[in-house]
Amino acid sequence: MINSQNIHDGAPIRRRSGRQRRKQLAGLLFIAPALILVATFFVIPLGMAFWMSLHNWPLLGRPRFIGFGNYIRLTQDAQFWSSMRFTVYYTVIVTIAIFAVAFPLALFAEKAHRFTKFYRTAFFLPVVVGFGSASLLWAWLLDVDSGLFSPAAEYLGLMTTRINLLADFDTTFWSIIIMVVWKTAGFNMIILLTGLQGISTEVQEAARIDGASSLQRFRRITLPLMRRTIALALILSVSGSMLAFDQFYIIADGGPQNRTVTAVYWIFSQSFGSFRLGYGAALSMVLLVILVFISVVQLRLLRNPEGM
Amino acid sequence: MKLLKIVALAATALGALSTSAFSQEKLTMWSRSSSEAFMPALIDAFNASHKTQIELQIVPSAEMVQKYATAAAGGSAPDFVSLDLVYGPAFAKSGTLEDLTDVAKSLPYFEHLSKAHIGTGTFEGRIYAMPMSADASVLLWNKKLFKQAGLDPEKAPTNWAEIEEAAGKVNALGGDIRGFYFSGACGGCNAFTFMPLIWASGGDILVDGGKRATLDSPQMYDAINFYRDMVAKGYVPESAKTDSGKNFFGGFATDKIGLSPIGAFAIGNLVKNYPTVDFGVTFIPGKTGGKASFGGGDNFVVTAGRDNAPAAKEFLEFVYSLEGQTLLAKLGSLPTRDDVAAEAVKSLDQRYQVATEALKLGRTPSSPVYNDIINSSTGPWKQMLNEVFFDDDVKGSVTKAQTAMQSILDDTD
Amino acid sequence: MSARRSASARHLFASLRYNGLGIIAAFLFLAPLAWSVLVSFKPSVEARQPPLPPWPVGGFSVQSYENLAKYGAGIWTYTGNSLTVALATVVASVVVSLLAGYGFSRFHFPFKNVLFVLIISTVMIPFQSILTPLFLILTKLGLQNTLTGIVLVYVTLQLPFSIFMMRNAFDAVPKEIEDAARVDGASIFAVLYRIMLPLVLPGVVTVAIFAFLASWNEFLAALILLTDQNKYTLPVLMAAVRSGQFGTIDWGAVQSGVTLMMAPCLVLFLGLQRYYIRGLTAGAVK
Repeated sequence: MINSQNIHDGAPIRRRSGRQRRKQLAGLLFIAPALILVATFFVIPLGMAFWMSLHNWPLLGRPRFIGFGNYIRLTQDAQFWSSMRFTVYYTVIVTIAIFAVAFPLALFAEKAHRFTKFYRTAFFLPVVVGFGSASLLWAWLLDVDSGLFSPAAEYLGLMTTRINLLADFDTTFWSIIIMVVWKTAGFNMIILLTGLQGISTEVQEAARIDGASSLQRFRRITLPLMRRTIALALILSVSGSMLAFDQFYIIADGGPQNRTVTAVYWIFSQSFGSFRLGYGAALSMVLLVILVFISVVQLRLLRNPEGM
Repeated sequence: MKLLKIVALAATALGALSTSAFSQEKLTMWSRSSSEAFMPALIDAFNASHKTQIELQIVPSAEMVQKYATAAAGGSAPDFVSLDLVYGPAFAKSGTLEDLTDVAKSLPYFEHLSKAHIGTGTFEGRIYAMPMSADASVLLWNKKLFKQAGLDPEKAPTNWAEIEEAAGKVNALGGDIRGFYFSGACGGCNAFTFMPLIWASGGDILVDGGKRATLDSPQMYDAINFYRDMVAKGYVPESAKTDSGKNFFGGFATDKIGLSPIGAFAIGNLVKNYPTVDFGVTFIPGKTGGKASFGGGDNFVVTAGRDNAPAAKEFLEFVYSLEGQTLLAKLGSLPTRDDVAAEAVKSLDQRYQVATEALKLGRTPSSPVYNDIINSSTGPWKQMLNEVFFDDDVKGSVTKAQTAMQSILDDTD
Repeated sequence: MSARRSASARHLFASLRYNGLGIIAAFLFLAPLAWSVLVSFKPSVEARQPPLPPWPVGGFSVQSYENLAKYGAGIWTYTGNSLTVALATVVASVVVSLLAGYGFSRFHFPFKNVLFVLIISTVMIPFQSILTPLFLILTKLGLQNTLTGIVLVYVTLQLPFSIFMMRNAFDAVPKEIEDAARVDGASIFAVLYRIMLPLVLPGVVTVAIFAFLASWNEFLAALILLTDQNKYTLPVLMAAVRSGQFGTIDWGAVQSGVTLMMAPCLVLFLGLQRYYIRGLTAGAVK
C-alpha cells in the first residue's frame, strides 16, 4: 500500500554541496508542520498514555506511581474482558455481514447498465452520513413507541404486541449489525469494485470459453486476483469495528445490562465516568497492543499472498 | 531600553485592564437539565435585581458530572455549579470546591437550611456545598385515568398491594394506556424512586457510614418482586426496559400512565409544560404502609481559587430570601430553608405540601464513590435492577451486584 | 419465435431483473435517510407516533426545527461551531498536507522514508486510546475546551490520509514541468503555488472532502474535549437533545437535527462524488 521507494530527484544523495544542503533544509521545512502536529498530538500522547498507565491518576487530584498495579488490576476486571470478548465477537460478525452484502453489491455495480451509476450512488449515500447521525437515526427507528420497526411489525400482523428491540441482547445486537452494514456496505463495495475492475476481461473471457461456470470463475479467478483488495477492506473493517463506540453508546447505552459495552466504551466510562485516567490508560494500552498485533498480522497477509 | 520599558508598562496596563474587564464579565453557572423548570427563571430574577450577573448553562443531567470534572481538570470550569447533592463528597475530596464554611456560618438562618444538603456538602468538618434546590421522591397518580378506571381519583394508594391493584385497573383500560412506569435502565432514577420502597419497609442499601452494601436483604427481594409482578402482568410499558432516564416521566406526561414514582422536580415540569395532565401526589409507601423518600436535589458549589465567595454570598442570600424560595417552590423545587418553607409554599396547591412533607422524611446515601456504585450506567446498581426487573435469575443478579458494590466500597482509599 | 426475438426477450428479462434488484436494494439504502427527513417535517405530536405513513399526515410543519432551534444557546451557535471546526480543519489539513506532500515528493533529507512511514503508521493506532493524554496536553496548551484545540486534533487525525494522498498527487506530476519554471527563476513557493497547485487540485479536493466529513461528523473527541455548552458541535448537541429535555424525548427535534447534520454531507458528496471515490480508491489501487 505504501510505496516508500520514491526517488524522483536525479541528484546523487552523497554530493553535499551548499545548494544540496539548502534543499535538504527546505524539504524538512516543508514537512515540519506535519511533524510538529504528529509529535504533539500523537507521539507525545502515546508516550504519556503509557506513563499514565503506571499511575493511579485521578482526573482531579494528584497522580501516584503504582508500577504495574493497573495492569494487575485489569486482569481481574470482569467487565473489561467481557467487553473485549463482545468487541471481538461483534467485529467477526459485522465483518462477515459487511462482506456478505458488499460483495454482491460490487458485482452488481460492476455491470454496465444504464442506471448502474444511480444504484452505486444510492448504495454509497449512507457512508457519508456520520456514525453519530446514523446512530441517532436508528435509535429512533428502533424505538418501541415512536420508531418504525416494532410498530410496523405489529401493524403488518407479524407480532401481536410491540417488542422493545433494545431490551434483548440478540435483537439489540442484530439491529446494530444491520445498521452498521447499511452504513458501511457502500464503502466496502467501492473498495471491492476497484479490485474487480483491475481484473482483465480477457482472463474472464478465456475461462468462460474453457467452459468454467460463473461460480467457478468467481472462486478460481475473481477471488484469488482480488486478494489484496479484500485484505485491504478486511483491515479497514476489522480495525474500525474493534474501536466501535458511537452506535453502542447512542443507540443502546451499552444495554441491555452492559452486554453491549465495547472495549472503547468501557475505557471511556472508566476514564471519564469514574475518573480513573491511569486505569483507563492501562486499558487503552492493552487494546492498542491487540490492535497493532491484528494489523501487523493482516499486513503480513496483504504482503504475502501465499499466507492467506 | 527605554522602549522596552514602555512596552513592558503598556503590557502591564493592558493586562490590568483586561483582568478588570474580566472581573466585570458575567459569572458562569451550570445546572443540570432536570432543573430546567426553575433555574433559568431564578437566575433571571437574580440578574434583574443585582449588579452581579450570572450566565446560566443547562447541561444534560447524564453528562453533568463528567463535564464538570473534565472542565475543572482543564481549568475551564464554570464559576458556580448547581450540582446533584450526592456528588458533594467526591468533588470536595478532590479539592475542586471553594470552602464556603465562612459564608455559611455568616448567614443568620444557617441552622434552618436543609440538613440533608449540608450533610452531603460537608467534608472533613468544612462546608463545601450549600443547598440550592431540593427534590424529594413521591408517587404520582393520574386522576383522569383513575376516574376512567372506576377508582376514586382523590384517594391515594397507601401500600404496595393498593398500588398494584390501581395499576391493574388503569391498565385494563387498554389501548396504549399502562398502569405503572419507571425508567428500567437508569441507576440514578431508581435510587430516587426504588430505594424508598425498601426504606419504608425497614431495609437499607448502605450501612456503617456508607462502608457496607446490603443489597441482599429480604426487603430488597420483596420490592423486586413487587416490580416484577407488575412487569409480568404487563402493567409496565415495553419502553421502560431500556429507558436510561431519558424518558423519566415522558410516559406520565402523555396522560397514558396510571402511576409513577417521580420527584418534586417533575411536579414543576408537569405543571409548566403539560398543564393538561391532572395528577395527584402522595408518599412512596412501604410494603404494608409507612412512607419514605429520597432527599435529593442540588447543592450550590463554587469552583475553588477564583475569589468568587462574595458573589456566591450575594447569590445565596437571594436564593434563601422569601422571594427566592417562593420562586423556586412555584416552579418545582422544594424550599431549602425551613423557617420560610411554610410561607413559600402557602399559595401553592396541596401537591407541593406533600412533597415538602416528603423532604422532611428524605434520606440521602452519602459516599465518595456514589457515582460508581449507584449512578454510573455501567455500575452494579443499574445492572442489577435491570436484570431483576426483566430477567429470571433474581438471586444470582442480586448476589453478583452485592459483591461488585462491596468491592468498589472496599477499594476506596 | 425467431432466435433474434427470443434473444431480445432474454435481454429484456435480464434488464428487468437487474433493475428490479437495483431498485429494491436502492430503496433499502435510501429509505432510512428519507424516513428521517420526512419525520422531521411532521408536527411534534405526530412525530411522537410511529412513522406510518412516513410523510406528514397533518400537514407539513417546521415545528420540530423550531423546537431544535430553541435548544440551549440556539441551533445557529452549534451549527456555527460545527462549520467553523469543519472549515478550519479543511483549510489546515490542505495547507499542512500540501506542504508535506510536496516535501516528501520532491526533496531529499535525512530519515525521509522513516518519517513518512512514521506519519502514515499513526493510522494503525486508535486515537481513542490516547484521548486522555490528548486532553491533558490541550489543557497544558490552554486549548482544552476550545474549537482551536479540537481542530488541531482533527487535522492530526487526518494527516496520514492527507499526506499519502498529496504525495501521490505530486508524484504524478512530471518533474520537467517544475524544472522549466525553476529555470525561469521562480522561487519554490511561487512554483508550488502557481505551477503545482493547479496540477494537484484534484488531490486537494479529495483531502478537503475527507477532512470536512471527518470533522463535521466526529463525536467522541468532541464529547470529551468540549465542556462548555456554547462550544458544542452538532453531534454532541444532538446526543444531548436525544438525552431528553424535561425528561421526555422529542424525536421530531432529534430527526430534524439528524437531517441538519446529514444535509451538508450528502450535498458535498453528490456534488464532488468523483473526487471522493478517487480518494477512496487511491489507497486500494496502490
